Amino acid sequence: MSITKSPKVLLNVEWQAGEAAELWDAITDQQLADWEALWQPALREALQRLHREKVPLERWPQSRHWDWRRKAASIRGLLANPAFSVMCGGVTQGMMILDTTRRRCRIESQKGKNLVYVEYIENAPWNREQLFKPSRYKGVGTMLIRAAIETSVAEGFKGRLGLHSLPQSNDFYANTCRMTDMGSDARYQDLHYFEMTSEQSEEFIARGARS
Amino acid sequence: MSTKRTMTLNLTDTEMQVLEDLCDKKDLSKTALLRQALRLYQVVESRLEKGEKFFFEDDKTKEKAEVMML
Amino acid sequence: MNTEFDAEWCLNMARLEGDGEIGAGTVAADPIFDGELIEQRQQDEPVVAFGRFVRLMRRRRNMDVEKLANTADIDIEELVSIEEDPHFRPEVRTVYQLSMFFDIPRESLLQIAGLTKPKDNRIYQEAVRFAARSEPVAALTPEERVALETFVAVLNEKK
Repeated sequence: MSITKSPKVLLNVEWQAGEAAELWDAITDQQLADWEALWQPALREALQRLHREKVPLERWPQSRHWDWRRKAASIRGLLANPAFSVMCGGVTQGMMILDTTRRRCRIESQKGKNLVYVEYIENAPWNREQLFKPSRYKGVGTMLIRAAIETSVAEGFKGRLGLHSLPQSNDFYANTCRMTDMGSDARYQDLHYFEMTSEQSEEFIARGARS
Repeated sequence: MSTKRTMTLNLTDTEMQVLEDLCDKKDLSKTALLRQALRLYQVVESRLEKGEKFFFEDDKTKEKAEVMML
Repeated sequence: MNTEFDAEWCLNMARLEGDGEIGAGTVAADPIFDGELIEQRQQDEPVVAFGRFVRLMRRRRNMDVEKLANTADIDIEELVSIEEDPHFRPEVRTVYQLSMFFDIPRESLLQIAGLTKPKDNRIYQEAVRFAARSEPVAALTPEERVALETFVAVLNEKK
């Protein structure tokens, strides 16, 4: 299977300037090796600190038990589940798995239409201010959401997206991505379901074009 | 992400009508719709191969009717 | 598909992204345990209470092992090991399925199954007490007696 690696840029927080990065349209053994050898130890270190500082469990990262090796294995080879990863400095900075067949829009104006659903999206531990101050890179989230939008366009779904946000990410999806918050979803552990219309996806893209 | 390859598809009049009706209903181009069908077919096959079963469920009675695919 | 959006777009959006979390996805797709992340399971601590608990909850519902395994969608062999081998460590998914079936909080069951460190000692102490109290002392039932005698006969058969 051929993998496309597009040149991109992340914001290096220390330099306050861009650093060359890549967007891959796959999650390969290389990303999974980084997840095991680099993400997991960093996450454990951060959790031990949170534990020592007696931070309540509700504020621990809610994706802390995600098993990306298992997730990647479950979608391997399936056209319905494209995956993406972000690389910078030779290291995996973010990963995302999409679903392009099973879900439909809930917003009244587009109800029943196909959309691309973000199954899982995660930032590397060292990019998360909640875990490591200062964080290392910014821009992983917006880059991956853009990739999801482009996938939606390619499928003929005009940029429509849906996802269940982890509670600590509600602000990102509501205010940075400006998706519609459809409230907590009892069928998904009361996580908030967010949906992006075609118009909202165009607005999202346009926002980055303005400086 | 991969170059595209083109194929010609021969459909009967009825099949073409069904395809066009579905496209109208789902606001998708013919290509987009058929690509969706392929994705769905692959997912279903893959799960059947793992030993799972494919059901429709009546929302009111909760009765399941098995949908077999070979 | 178009992955051609440019560096300038990326940087502009990165600056807008701020410090927040971006994670999305259903949390319990992998069963969660709220105990501390443990590097290695303690291999030697027996989990008598867990096996005993599962067995009694099963018998309370008048189910045999096969019925419980099928209904709770777990492996029969694993269920037998859970009930009979105090050193056996079940899969997290299995405990998750049992917690749903028995309607017991996942976190508590994972603790007594030895898969997470206890958050407080109380559950552990109760488990020890339960294990001690639930050791059967009653006489054999007629069915148990017949089964035992049949089995003894087979063991004694001279070849």
